[in-house]
Amino acid sequence: MEALTESGIRPPDTAAEQPLLRVKGLTKHYQSASGGRIVACEDVTFDVYPGEVLGIVGESGSGKSTVLQCLFQDVMPTSGEAYLSSFLGGTRNLWEADRRERRHLRTHDMSMVYQNPRQGLNLMVTAGGNIAERLLAAEWRKVADIRAKASDYLSRTEVPLDRMDDFPAFFSGGMQQRVQIAKALANNPALVLLDELTTGLDVSVQAGVLDLVRDIQHRLGMTAIVVSHDLGVIRLLADRTLVMKDGHVVEAGLTDQILEDPQHPYTQLLVNCVTH
Amino acid sequence: MSSVSTLLEDRGAAFAGYSFAFLDDMAKREIRRAILKGVAIPGHQVPFGSREMPIARGWGTGGLQLTLALVGGSDVIKVIDQGDDASVNAVNLRRLIAKTTGATETLDTAAATLIQTRHRIPEEVMREGQVLILQVPIPEPLRLVERSVAAARSMHAEMDYSRMWLALYEDIVRRGEVSAGAGYPVMVNGRFVMAPSPIPRWDIPKLDNARCLFLFGAGREKRIYVVPPFTKVEPLEFDDYPFDTEHFDGKECALSGATNAYLVESPTEDGGSRWTASDTNYADKVLAGQEVDTQWKR
Repeated sequence: MEALTESGIRPPDTAAEQPLLRVKGLTKHYQSASGGRIVACEDVTFDVYPGEVLGIVGESGSGKSTVLQCLFQDVMPTSGEAYLSSFLGGTRNLWEADRRERRHLRTHDMSMVYQNPRQGLNLMVTAGGNIAERLLAAEWRKVADIRAKASDYLSRTEVPLDRMDDFPAFFSGGMQQRVQIAKALANNPALVLLDELTTGLDVSVQAGVLDLVRDIQHRLGMTAIVVSHDLGVIRLLADRTLVMKDGHVVEAGLTDQILEDPQHPYTQLLVNCVTH
Repeated sequence: MSSVSTLLEDRGAAFAGYSFAFLDDMAKREIRRAILKGVAIPGHQVPFGSREMPIARGWGTGGLQLTLALVGGSDVIKVIDQGDDASVNAVNLRRLIAKTTGATETLDTAAATLIQTRHRIPEEVMREGQVLILQVPIPEPLRLVERSVAAARSMHAEMDYSRMWLALYEDIVRRGEVSAGAGYPVMVNGRFVMAPSPIPRWDIPKLDNARCLFLFGAGREKRIYVVPPFTKVEPLEFDDYPFDTEHFDGKECALSGATNAYLVESPTEDGGSRWTASDTNYADKVLAGQEVDTQWKR
């Protein structure tokens, strides 16, 4: 287990000059039924620094989710390199890791919160068990410790502890999403990937989940990539933002800058859509 | 065509046309190779081409093929069915093996060189050179947590057992203990999680660091795996929920008075029940006043 502070919080990284994640030339092509080439994303390059939240915004089909899926090894890219400083000293391209290393990457170094909790949770395993799964992968072998840790994460994400031994299949959408966030925090991953985490929730629940993520981010100094089509979510969570269209990054910069002074015509359109 | 019964009745005449030990030589060679691979990788399931046998799949064809691939004319063989040498299935298997090979039949655990068994390990300690062949219905310990055979195999290859542990965790959360009675999952040689076949928990500690060779054969599922002598076998357990065997506090075998044995309950005519040792050979020896060594762990 990693060295943690008393409260289980990763100590803040003071030497923030080195990026936590470097992505170079990430490209993913699919083959269409007629044999043509479909570009999901093309030559996407960016860095993420420790403790920051990077937003990726774009319309559906812009390739933003593909970027996350490639990073989390759900999908293998056509080409590109990515280095995570916590993973094998930042020397191994994530997409050249062997299966065992990739599993370690998914259970220790990164976690993903999917839009649909069905993807991130096993709904027929208890809420506590879902969190235990990541802890067990990290060789936790004491039930009392596992339960203490799981309740810690669940209370942080405001899931009532008396539901810990219930199946998430019977939870509301908002609560499933909170369990998924609790699971994503388990093992203290260096990088958390959030894919459209509020899409599909009603507005009041959305606000609660966003507050929660922002609160956790501030308290834990969590490094994250937030993907959303919703500029409101990006405005609330992201320090820096990439704007994607048709698989390409068309604009990148500080979130405030992009929202106040969009340069690319597509970004201008996007910003106008929200503010009017 | 000879039926099995004529085969068993008249050894001399019926054996014209049958191979020694029933199986053809190529089949035996394949099975022996699978055993050798299993010895080299303790707990790893080795696939083999399970043959049609004169008994139905699910009735011990895996164990029988292992036995027939190994048995020679000078072997002394014993067959156990749930601890019992006298059940119809045990008797038929023992006769088939003996009559197709000329091997000697025995009920005595100590005298046997090869023992084929269903769901029990003898109470009497087995020594170097003895082989215990276990019949296995489901060789894949991950079957309950992963339905895909291919996925389960890659989980073994990567030693990815977190979902197995998760199943145990869920069991403890819901029932307060790991509920697996027979076939409690074990870790072999610190590498492979293995299904020990549906032996009771009572028998699990006997697998650890034993002097004899354990062979496991699953005929229907076409898998062979091995625990070689002096191999570490540990039940999967949490630090705060240690593995425990069955307890028979204060009970003794109603027939032999044996106490240090796995007991099974059976109904009596007066509506009550009685407990008897499931290992009949052990009970017989206790009844005859013989000294029997049951200390597997040293």
